[in-house]
Amino acid sequence: MVPALAIFAANAIFPLLYALDVSVRNYQLLIPVPPQFIGLENYARILSDPLFWSSLKVTLWFIAGVVFLQLPASLGLALLFDSLPRWAGIGVTILLVPTIIAPSVVGFQWAQIYNYQFGPLNYLLGLAGLGHPVWTASPTLALPSLVAIDFWEWTPFMVLLLFAGLRSLPADILEAARVDGSSYPKIFLRIMLPLLRPVIGIALVLRVLMSFKTFDIIYILTAGGPGAATENLAYYTYIQGFRYFNLGYASALAIIQLIVVAILAKALIGLTRKPSFAGAA
Amino acid sequence: MNNKIFAGPQFSRRGVLGAGLGMLALGTDGGRAAAATPVRIECDAGQNELPFQWQASALEAKYGLTPDLVSLPFVGQYEKLVTDLTSRSDAYDVLVFPPYFLGDFQALGFLRELDPYFSLLDPQLADYLPVYRDPVIKRNGKTYALMFDGDLLQVCYRTDLFNDPKEKAAFKQKYGQDLAVPTTWADFMKVAAFFHRPPDLYGTAFYAARGFCYAWFVNIFAGLGGRWFDAKMNPGINSDTGYRALSLLVEMKKYAPPNILQIDYPTLNQVFLDGSTAIVVQWDDLPLKCENPQMSKVVGKSGFAPCPQRSYMPYSRVMAVSAFSKNPEDAYKLAAHMQLPDVGITYVYDPECGEDPYRESYLKASAVKNHLGKPTMSEAAAANYVDAIRGGLKAGYPELSIPGAPRYIDILDLYVNQALAGSLSPKAALDACAGEWANITAAEGQDRIAAAYADWVDSFHKVGLVY
Repeated sequence: MVPALAIFAANAIFPLLYALDVSVRNYQLLIPVPPQFIGLENYARILSDPLFWSSLKVTLWFIAGVVFLQLPASLGLALLFDSLPRWAGIGVTILLVPTIIAPSVVGFQWAQIYNYQFGPLNYLLGLAGLGHPVWTASPTLALPSLVAIDFWEWTPFMVLLLFAGLRSLPADILEAARVDGSSYPKIFLRIMLPLLRPVIGIALVLRVLMSFKTFDIIYILTAGGPGAATENLAYYTYIQGFRYFNLGYASALAIIQLIVVAILAKALIGLTRKPSFAGAA
Repeated sequence: MNNKIFAGPQFSRRGVLGAGLGMLALGTDGGRAAAATPVRIECDAGQNELPFQWQASALEAKYGLTPDLVSLPFVGQYEKLVTDLTSRSDAYDVLVFPPYFLGDFQALGFLRELDPYFSLLDPQLADYLPVYRDPVIKRNGKTYALMFDGDLLQVCYRTDLFNDPKEKAAFKQKYGQDLAVPTTWADFMKVAAFFHRPPDLYGTAFYAARGFCYAWFVNIFAGLGGRWFDAKMNPGINSDTGYRALSLLVEMKKYAPPNILQIDYPTLNQVFLDGSTAIVVQWDDLPLKCENPQMSKVVGKSGFAPCPQRSYMPYSRVMAVSAFSKNPEDAYKLAAHMQLPDVGITYVYDPECGEDPYRESYLKASAVKNHLGKPTMSEAAAANYVDAIRGGLKAGYPELSIPGAPRYIDILDLYVNQALAGSLSPKAALDACAGEWANITAAEGQDRIAAAYADWVDSFHKVGLVY
């Protein structure tokens, strides 16, 4: 127990406490002045920083895209595979291919796909008479373009989790409902979905946390542009910490992100509570 | 005792000793060529590493050195270098980077002063074009770097369009003036508007993606008389000149391809080389590619000129010796060799790499050849190209190179990009940027930065540049 605690303390507790300490100092690596304690000045500056608020907005929109698009799509695909057990194995395996590609490769790959002049996507849209959108060059389309990439890359991961959840549902309860004459939609809404809630909760927590820290595709495709249209909190923190080496400010940003993520995770973890059925013995 | 356990030949002690000495001699003599000292050179990955590869055998033959290239990504080079050098890493001997890093790197003690090494190999600085000699490579009168690539923004335009009698007549009718290479930004906008005939032909294009879009703003800002700061470090960008310059750049989008906000260095090259754009402002290595039949559809149809009123000099590359290098003398010799007059001439006009001239002796049409000595342009095109460089450098506007320059520039790029994206007006963007610049100046130390800026500006005046 003690070794495990020591490792946990070294990898989690100490960095957190150190980041807290740095966040209350004016620690700028490139300025030859010793860092001094400045209290909550970094935090106050963040709250009045328009770039922080715009990056938070971008982050939350990105997460909303993940939740509202990926969850129904993943559930639908998982149900499909569940109803075709013969094809489920090969189907899920093929579906997982995007997930195992390195994120930076995904970024470069989609940079080619989204290329305005030579990309295959615009070529196909042109053939269909649908014009040539500018995708990542458009302030309005850039963020949805990135959400689409995330959808393509990580929906299979959610499908896998939800499919596993479906496979582990108690067969006798479902069978009893069918024998009682319940329709499939009723079985799905009244029995399967509530039983699946813990798995959905876990899948959502994982995806929300992963989406929150999305960096690779932004770094490679848009560099946060056009303007700041795709600059999320993770990218903004990277710029402050690793381009400007403003470590105090970047640490304060990281602490604020930790708080936001903790609030989101707490709300979603509530979903993982097992359902109670009225009249259950 | 005669032990005959082994059936093989019997060796005498003399034989073994002789064979051993022979192998030692062979190893020493045969390995002399392989014993060349590696010099680790950090450089952004890709075309800019090629000159070091081309010079590898010369370096080995003359100095017993071999270039060991350490490639860094172009995007993220600053972060990687600072991270390594802050930890006093000896991973690099020679650093290749843009001069706007120099202010930070020199102030943080990352670089060796080079003047004491000049006796090892004379870098022949007298031949440097004035704009590079003091403002770029020196700080406080001491040399910290040597030139490798002298970047300059330049106008490239379609001579077939400009010389077409029908186009000339139509332009004259529309604007009441002759169609000519623009020498003011107002005229540049007229030309761009006139030739904007999408989707087959776009009036102009420019680097509008995040990363370097600031340079195209500064190019106009400089031409309109703008200055980075005043003597008290008040930003000059949020002035009427700055607002006008950024407004012009935003307006220029109307005459550009629809994906303008995605256009970066290679894409900007491509939209001119494929013949889809009438006039662009681009780094001055584009002309070499224009005249290369393997890269261009506009061979023989392009002309080159300085930018209207003033030409900005964004990026460039210098070579410096890391303060933490374990073999600084070898590092210096390699860097000094690479920029000697007869060495630099082999790569500054090669279309395969991205390097550009920085010596007076390079500015002649007969010098425009690739690293194999083959002319890369027709004589007429070469003369036009060299004249355009000379004209641009006469009124060159150097890139900011004081402590904090990477941060000033990155912030400016973000806000220029926001104006281009339409999320902020030009005035709001530059006002916000100026506010951030004031924070950077305060953090760096007002007096310290003001002194560095004054020293940098003074270096222009010493070489006769107007600023």
